[in-house]
Amino acid sequence: MAESLTVMDGGRRKIVAWVGTHVMPHESAVRAWLRRSHVSADDIDDLIQEAYCKLAGLETIDHVVSADGYFFQIVRNLLLEQMRRSRVVQFETVAEMDGLAAASDAPSPERATGARRELEKVRKLIDALPERCRSIFVLRKIEGVSQREIAERLGVNESTVENDGVKGMRLIMQALREDEARFGASENTGKSRARTRRRD
Amino acid sequence: VRERADEIEEAAVRWLWRIDREGRSPALDAALEAWLDGDSRRRGAFLHAEATWSVLDRAAQLDAVETPSAAASKPSRRVMLGLGGAVLAASAAGLAFLGLRQQRYDTKLGEIRRVSLDDGSTMALNTHSAVRIEMTSQQRMVKLAEGEAWFQVAKNRERPFVVEAGRVRVRAVGTAFSVRRLEGGAEILVTEGVVEAWREDAEGHRARLVAGDKAFIANDAGITEAAAKPSEIDRRLAWRSGQIDLAGETLGEAVEEFNRYNIRKLVVADAALTQERLYGVFRTDDPEGFARSVRLSIGAPVVLGETEIRIGASS
Repeated sequence: MAESLTVMDGGRRKIVAWVGTHVMPHESAVRAWLRRSHVSADDIDDLIQEAYCKLAGLETIDHVVSADGYFFQIVRNLLLEQMRRSRVVQFETVAEMDGLAAASDAPSPERATGARRELEKVRKLIDALPERCRSIFVLRKIEGVSQREIAERLGVNESTVENDGVKGMRLIMQALREDEARFGASENTGKSRARTRRRD
Repeated sequence: VRERADEIEEAAVRWLWRIDREGRSPALDAALEAWLDGDSRRRGAFLHAEATWSVLDRAAQLDAVETPSAAASKPSRRVMLGLGGAVLAASAAGLAFLGLRQQRYDTKLGEIRRVSLDDGSTMALNTHSAVRIEMTSQQRMVKLAEGEAWFQVAKNRERPFVVEAGRVRVRAVGTAFSVRRLEGGAEILVTEGVVEAWREDAEGHRARLVAGDKAFIANDAGITEAAAKPSEIDRRLAWRSGQIDLAGETLGEAVEEFNRYNIRKLVVADAALTQERLYGVFRTDDPEGFARSVRLSIGAPVVLGETEIRIGASS
């Protein structure tokens, strides 16, 4: 119970915490921007996972000035790479992406101060989980009860605890990535929406 | 068929629950690595899942701090540290004469303490440590009388920040580093920037240490320098958040580390076990949890006594 779940050293732990607090809050905005750039839903999921993979490969994050701008750059580069590979180069999209990337490089004080609000939101998401999922999260995360003991207390087997735990966590991940309104996410991408529509 | 992103995400989250249940072991690490190697998106999904897990932990903490009843029934480490801080602040003696501001801080066994210094620097004081701080207009002097401390130094070119640990001196302008007094000398770990270190009567022989360096300076001999991996420095300083982070240290080393923090001592009764290598992150104040996972991972018997915890059957 005392050992952490993590398979990582200190540097990596720092990156994980940073991804949780500084990158994930921006994911929904990046996804929204990809949708507006006519990237298919499956491709968006792949691109986002590839982008997190790039972050997983970082030795340090000390050089990153703005987490959201950095994440956006990675996604943008991955998308460009994909477009080059598929030889469907839409110059307008590329130009637009360059402009956007520059705009979103600027650190946003609103995002920086929103960390606590973000955590409160996650608390609410835990509270809104289906009953047994919620019990498992409360027991494990707040009361620190082991999975085995949770199974005993709830009168289910350990695989049920795992299954519900996985389910609950995915529901939360889904809610977080779909929540476009977080931090009033994107004045930047809002502009892009208007332009895209005109072009259509 | 290409694996779908949502299938990968499900598997990544499942890994976390499994690790949470079973704890780390070389076998599990190997299986996880094999899975991660299968597709670059898996590494991404796993990081994303870990990050979500850490956010959930932090979100859960909101309650632990805010609900008085929850805090009373199961005091979190943060709450306990907070109380310790209040007691310490009261005992920190401040006096001012001739422009000298002097303050003392000390920690009890197992106590870990963060202090904001008057010049804007931050200090983290590890278990059973004592420092005296003397601020003048020319210099910021910290005397480490005992134990270990980490400093995040506020930049000020006019007033160098000097740590005195026995006969060892460490000087910084704006940087972060730790100093630990050991038998016969002091160990220095640099987390940011550059520091200079020397022995009091050998000022001409100064070692320049940069981020990621560690050095041991003996009271009566030379300086031993070594470059450490950044991850190693972070692990060695995990005490700042009340943790002991093991990545292949021996049981003997781990036990020595835990015993720095607890009255209830860990004892290895079977000498053959001391060389077993261990992995995992533990709370400094939870030697029992550590002993339990030693029992699980190397199959050693553990006897939980009032004043000590014995690992391994005594012959």
